[in-house]
Amino acid sequence: MRHFSASNCYASPVIIAVIPAYNEASRITQVIEHARVFVDRVIVVDDGSTDGTGETAERAGAFVVQHIQNSGAGAATMTGIEAARVLGARIIITLDADGQHDPKDIPLLLNPVKEDKADIVFANRFGQRNRIPFVRRIFNGIGNVVTLLATGKWVADSQSGFKVLGPKAVDQIDLRMSGFEFCTEIVREVVQHRWRVLEVPTKVLYSDYTLAKGQSFAGGVKTALRILLRSFLR
Amino acid sequence: MFTVSLTPYQIAAPIFSLFALAYAWNLVLRQKKTIWEACFWSIFWGAVALIALYPSALSYLSAATGIADQENAVLVTFLGILFFMVFYLVIRLEELEQRHTKVVRMLALRDAKLEKAKEHQ
Repeated sequence: MRHFSASNCYASPVIIAVIPAYNEASRITQVIEHARVFVDRVIVVDDGSTDGTGETAERAGAFVVQHIQNSGAGAATMTGIEAARVLGARIIITLDADGQHDPKDIPLLLNPVKEDKADIVFANRFGQRNRIPFVRRIFNGIGNVVTLLATGKWVADSQSGFKVLGPKAVDQIDLRMSGFEFCTEIVREVVQHRWRVLEVPTKVLYSDYTLAKGQSFAGGVKTALRILLRSFLR
Repeated sequence: MFTVSLTPYQIAAPIFSLFALAYAWNLVLRQKKTIWEACFWSIFWGAVALIALYPSALSYLSAATGIADQENAVLVTFLGILFFMVFYLVIRLEELEQRHTKVVRMLALRDAKLEKAKEHQ
């Protein structure tokens, strides 16, 4: 494992993309190919897929870690982060496997961390003109409010899977929530460890496919209740 | 001379609340709990202590819910016990799920020959 001191970690930090994926065989190759242009390595965490996502990702050149059973986006993300740490990552970028993020935005998110201006950078899908369905805007708004209630911190797009973690965040992050509630848990980590935060407006590419992959209303309610319960139990 | 007679519960509950509060804020100092979460707990334990010291604070609740006689109080108590049991079961389920997820994640890292990940745990 490579070790970096504070002085040299920005000279050539190892940048690894972590992509949690569940039944994304039809999209994953394209996402890997686009992400690889901007990072040193791509890790795909196949979260118990049944459509050959893992094999497809491997063929596309990604390092694949496989969950034997579907455990949720949070669990897959943390597995990916741990794998990236072992592989020497000093900067980790997480992105969704469904292709909703524009890989051309990756440098925009990476720059503040490379320039040591932030410990974590959140993509903000609402920071620029994007065609986002009204229902999706409402769901994300509710997610932001629940996150504010649970953590005391407002993040404009707390539920986005597109983030960059700098060296401090890579070392300190420890996610315990296994489902979509991990997005809120990351904001909790921001508050707890006092990471410097930046939010960067990014493009989002919604399609029928990505919309079908998102959380349902019932799923969102369940996620919100779990977040509030967990924040009370901690 | 002004005298106050307190029941053992009225003495024990605020003392216990005080310890619970000290513990919660100690976790904040040790960076294991956020200030926000400690505030939640402060409100909860503060309410427990307040109700123990000033039971009349519940008279508003009695007026709002209509629970005034003993039969209703027994019913509400059992509802409270049921609520606690469900709460306890939810917590246990959450713990089991977390353990299960941890096993799945460790197996994934082991199969990928990335067992150094243990160093970070």
